[in-house]
Amino acid sequence: MSLLLMLWLSVVPQGELLVKGAMPSASDASTPVPEQGSVAAGRYRNAYFGLTYPIPAGWTEQPAGPPPSDGGAYVLTQFALYGPDRRLRAHVLVTAQDLFFTLLEAADAKELLAAARRGAESQYVIESGPAEVTIAGRRFHRLGYRAPRSGLQWRVLSTDTRCHALTFTFTGTDPALLDAAERGLSAISLADTAPACVNGYALGDNVVERTDPMFATNRYNTIPVRLLVDAKGRVKHIHLLSAFPEQSQAILAALRTWRFKPYRVGGKAVEVETGMLFGNPRPAIH
Amino acid sequence: MKLRTVPLASLATFLVVFQAFSQVDPGPRGGPPGAGGPLASVAANNPTTILTFFNDAEDRFEEVNSVFGTIPGEPDGGLGPRFNSRSCVACHSQPAVGGTSPAVNPQVADATAHGATNTIPSFITVSGPVREARFKFFVDGAGNPITTAPDGGVHALFTIAGRSDASTCTASVISQPNFANAVTKNNVIFRIPTPLFGTGLMENIDDSTLLAYQASLAGNPLGIAGTFNRAGGAGTISRFGWKASVSSLEAFSGGAYNIEMGVSNELANQERPSPNEDRAAGLPAACRLNATPEDHTNFNTTAVGTPSDVVMFAMFMRLLKPPVKSSTTPGGAMSIINGEALFTEVGCASCHKATFTTAPSSITPDLGNATVRLWSDLQIHRMGTGLADNIQEGAAGGDQFRTAPLWGMGQRLFFLHDGRTSNVLTAISAHSSTGSEANAVVLNFNALTTTQKQDIVNFLRSL
Repeated sequence: MSLLLMLWLSVVPQGELLVKGAMPSASDASTPVPEQGSVAAGRYRNAYFGLTYPIPAGWTEQPAGPPPSDGGAYVLTQFALYGPDRRLRAHVLVTAQDLFFTLLEAADAKELLAAARRGAESQYVIESGPAEVTIAGRRFHRLGYRAPRSGLQWRVLSTDTRCHALTFTFTGTDPALLDAAERGLSAISLADTAPACVNGYALGDNVVERTDPMFATNRYNTIPVRLLVDAKGRVKHIHLLSAFPEQSQAILAALRTWRFKPYRVGGKAVEVETGMLFGNPRPAIH
Repeated sequence: MKLRTVPLASLATFLVVFQAFSQVDPGPRGGPPGAGGPLASVAANNPTTILTFFNDAEDRFEEVNSVFGTIPGEPDGGLGPRFNSRSCVACHSQPAVGGTSPAVNPQVADATAHGATNTIPSFITVSGPVREARFKFFVDGAGNPITTAPDGGVHALFTIAGRSDASTCTASVISQPNFANAVTKNNVIFRIPTPLFGTGLMENIDDSTLLAYQASLAGNPLGIAGTFNRAGGAGTISRFGWKASVSSLEAFSGGAYNIEMGVSNELANQERPSPNEDRAAGLPAACRLNATPEDHTNFNTTAVGTPSDVVMFAMFMRLLKPPVKSSTTPGGAMSIINGEALFTEVGCASCHKATFTTAPSSITPDLGNATVRLWSDLQIHRMGTGLADNIQEGAAGGDQFRTAPLWGMGQRLFFLHDGRTSNVLTAISAHSSTGSEANAVVLNFNALTTTQKQDIVNFLRSL
């Protein structure tokens, strides 16, 4: 039954999330945000990262992942390959971790994979890495490990872009299949240029004018926000990764009034992207 | 003899062949209950008198409530006027006192006990799970859900109307919610009782321990990124209930006494109206039959008799020992050991974390510095549209649920928040749908061989 028909019949739609809790939102719908990728013509495209990923032949798109987390974790897309017996043979999970908001003290993709390795060491056999590799002319970090009982193998490849660790995780039991899928990454394209990203730019003297948002109730959630500030120091775009609707409204209204010192590179004012946290302050646990 | 032997042999062959092609849930583990009773230090009466308190608390947990406490054998007052069942143990009894939904649903008998005239909703059956019902949205005058007006509240199944002790609270002044309409309009969801064994240990895990584990998972290659629900006011991590919206066992106890049995108490002081009555004139005056709070601190009595029921229910839960797993059943020791390792390898244990260590305890030695094998991170996770119930509780949205602790699940009869299945494999596959954090992990599970999947199921049924 279609959604429209169910609404017409006044039946609450089955399998629809209507009470969403904390969700992403943005100050406009036209500026790309990480969670808005799409699949078409055998390719996954993500305008925010300038990413195009040709889906390996025979692999199919899987159910979408969750919205961005309050720790800045994104599940961008996932594809899987099934055998003739309908048994799953391999899958690839494409994720991004906003490095402004990660719960770990990891400054880049390399450090994030190093942390992943430490987490994997007690349960898995580490095969390699993290080691630097070049894919499609770009620097990636690669971690390989396998599970001793199930035979599952992981190939984790991560690269830095826009202060995110963009990661492709290939999983399966057939090494040749994983090798081939990994080689397919060489066909990706990623944007060469992007706004400068600077952690903590919305602090101290960089902020010339500010009005803090007022919340009617304290929900005790953490609200990560990405800001794009133009070369004149005006707020160009606001992306809330995870906030309740009334929190989004309050933060958007407040941040639109902020003014910054222009960010300069080589003496020239340029656009800058930064992040900030509202809501419940996250305890220091690094 | 041959005629009997041959078919049995054939059947055995068939079963072996069938098992080779398909993993199965062997069902609830038999044998004596692997749970129930007090922690060892409580059983040893350390500190002195704690066992007396535990035993008294267990008695209260098992008492049946009536409206005034005047019905023989039902000495506790305060039942209703709206309620889901008549005692704590009615819902928390499988496989022992303090557990979860039993094989025979007591709500069927509750509906008409002592002359009550309730209609049993279609989703309550003798062999089905104990359920409370929540409406997703408020409805308009025609009974149509208003999807811009989230309700989320518990609509108690029954009223006391018709009971011999209902006094002036008759069917002419109070009625059951329109469950038939809610079912037709897909506007109702269900919750089954959470098991209570070992909850004192869960309560005593320090927030910092939970936060450190959450941080350690950041950047994991599984797409998992949970968060915590937090208590209003204190802002500390809450951890009880299907969405971890309840901060302590005493809050859990006070809420349940009020919501499930209709007993006002020192933590939930008001006689509870339905969510619709709450938006209008409240409960009918004719149904406010007792002074409030109905459960309260008792004066001029013994030390053990002084605390309210709510305090003692919480103490009972807090002092219950955790479930004890089987090392051999079902499937044998090797299968269970292998299953536990595979459970971790595919990523299930990232959320269903095996152990935490508790903080020092001021109550009894066994609650402090203890290893808790609960198989949960106590975080709330996005579980996708397949499990979403469109109910918001605290910071948990309509698709967010606490990682259900798995200890004791070997002897549970019903799974998932609404008790929709009794099959472990169905419960596993339900973790995957649009928007779920578990999608990649379920794919990993699906990549396993039949034998490996069977080992995981055996492990889960050993808990």
